Amino acid sequence: MFQNFRLAMAWVHTWFGLFLGFVLMVVFFFGSLSVFDREIDRWAIPESRFEPQPMPSYDEILKPVFEDMQPSKESVDQMRPRVDGPMPEHFDTPVRWGAYTTHRDPVLGLFAGYRVPNAKNPDELVWGTRTIDPRTGDALPDDQLKIGSRFFYPLHYSLNLHWMDLGYWIVGLAALIMLVALVTGVVMHRKLFRELFTFRPNKSKQRSILDLHNLTGVVALPFHFMFAFTGLVIFAGIYFPVTHTQLEPLHDLHEVVESQETGLPHESAGVPAPTASVDAMVAEAQRRWAARDMAGDVGFLALQHVGDANGYVSIYRAGTDRIALTGEGIHFKASTGEVLREDPPPSAVERIDEFLTGLHLQHFRHWLLRWLYVLGGLAGCACIATGFLFFVEKRKRQHAKRGQIGARVVDAMAVTTVTGMLIATLGMLIANRLLPTNLPARGDWEQYCFWGIWVLAMAHAFWRTAPVARARLAPAWGEQCWAIAVLAVAAVLLNWVTTGDHLLKTLSVGYWPVAGVDLFMLVGAVVAILAARRLKRRARPQPAASGELSGETAHA
Amino acid sequence: MPENIMLSVALILSVAGMGWFALALDTHWKQVCGKQPRGQASSRVLRGLGGAALSLSLILCLKVDHPTMAALVWIMALAGAALIVAFTLSWRPHWLALLAARPPRR
Repeated sequence: MFQNFRLAMAWVHTWFGLFLGFVLMVVFFFGSLSVFDREIDRWAIPESRFEPQPMPSYDEILKPVFEDMQPSKESVDQMRPRVDGPMPEHFDTPVRWGAYTTHRDPVLGLFAGYRVPNAKNPDELVWGTRTIDPRTGDALPDDQLKIGSRFFYPLHYSLNLHWMDLGYWIVGLAALIMLVALVTGVVMHRKLFRELFTFRPNKSKQRSILDLHNLTGVVALPFHFMFAFTGLVIFAGIYFPVTHTQLEPLHDLHEVVESQETGLPHESAGVPAPTASVDAMVAEAQRRWAARDMAGDVGFLALQHVGDANGYVSIYRAGTDRIALTGEGIHFKASTGEVLREDPPPSAVERIDEFLTGLHLQHFRHWLLRWLYVLGGLAGCACIATGFLFFVEKRKRQHAKRGQIGARVVDAMAVTTVTGMLIATLGMLIANRLLPTNLPARGDWEQYCFWGIWVLAMAHAFWRTAPVARARLAPAWGEQCWAIAVLAVAAVLLNWVTTGDHLLKTLSVGYWPVAGVDLFMLVGAVVAILAARRLKRRARPQPAASGELSGETAHA
Repeated sequence: MPENIMLSVALILSVAGMGWFALALDTHWKQVCGKQPRGQASSRVLRGLGGAALSLSLILCLKVDHPTMAALVWIMALAGAALIVAFTLSWRPHWLALLAARPPRR
């Protein structure tokens, strides 16, 4: 079929890269934003603009909040068909309570799981969540969408497409193709080291685009490879769902055996028992971590079988000092406060798994590395975007001559996923500042704005790429660059007008979450303007492309 | 040395190291220094300097953080440094004459 191996690899790289590149663009861009998801939350929810807080006292703050919680309406509605008889009005048997925080969270997320009477599967629970100000225990309004951690971050790994978990599968396939694209790309690229630093903006358009594609792909190759790979490792349980299909009985048995080994009861005893001081347990856990010379902030605190004689409290530390996603959990008997179990040191396999997942999920405290991750992610975006541009540049003259629309369609899709995605993102942040604060389901409206604006940007992209069919530059690119610049500045100004937090203020008090988001958008605006002006210069007629392309570009 | 300074030095060293590696390649040497012969700064010496700078950068990273974290910081710093060197070469190549200890090409 192909003359040689390299041509075969080029075919795979071109076509698989093209089709899943649109997905990868979304994954890379929102992955980069997710590095600072908690900071974007602060920007979007002005009430939460204060310093990160440690896990508050359970006895004083958390206990009354947990006791006040109830499962969410959605969770109860979902459960309804799986229950014999009517659902109760009030759920009063909590099975699991948990609180989770990181070193970047001012607010604290809580969840509670409740037993449902007459459930067909008695192990299935209904769930409620709440976000509180840990200093007072006051709840934040449910309607406020945490845009960073609850919209951009899930968009990164699931495209927010939850029907049949399709989003996870598409992203998984894209990650697999990413690995393939990296390997085939290296095979195609004949001068990997000799041209490592090569970018020739003054050569032909195809040549300079390909240079940039190679540069951003190769210098961040370890990053691209590790992130695509670890992303797959993290969701291995979804992609190989054996624990809840073929091996379900084994999985259930394993849970029981494991609880016998660990001494942490699998079932509740059915005998009520009061809970001892959890604060004392936290103090004991911190003493034990300190004895092992580890940072001792509590990251995750959970009560299992709440108020039951078999109840236990698990306390995990926030592993801010390591890449590995560790917890060094310590488990206490809830009624007495005695230590039931200390998690043993991980085995070699567990260690590798913790490192790989931790590398991707980044719970560590290291601002430089976080920014370097953003750089790697944006390099990935540049690599994919230049891939699209190269595809179009290489084919548009030929397609124009033959009257085919392929190049135009790809260019329109590229505009949609590159600049259109940025416009949708900025549009969502602007909607977040403009929608009335008392609007019911405000978070849903913000999401509609995001998707609606993206569709509009797509329509514009398809409309204004018509000149590509005549082998010319699409005006859509430049126009959307200007839109990005205007929207980014507007978002920064709206943040000032609606909250009073202008850059001079946030910078002078050093409130980096908000100052950083503002600055990032302003830098984005400057880059967009530079790009738009450059595109205008390029749009002027210029001598036809040269014949100096090397064999490499010819078959890429 | 405070950690921020050590990490800053590590970043500067990785840029310098990548710069030396680039100068060891004929095309980039010509971009930076024009027709001036390399003389004693043979490509082997330049590669040696580059390797030494990158190693020193790794050592500094290891001094600041746990080895698992330091390795990631270093690898990502190399990626960033390579991008900086590549863009400097295409935008203001004569700046890298500093690393070659030569007057820039006219």
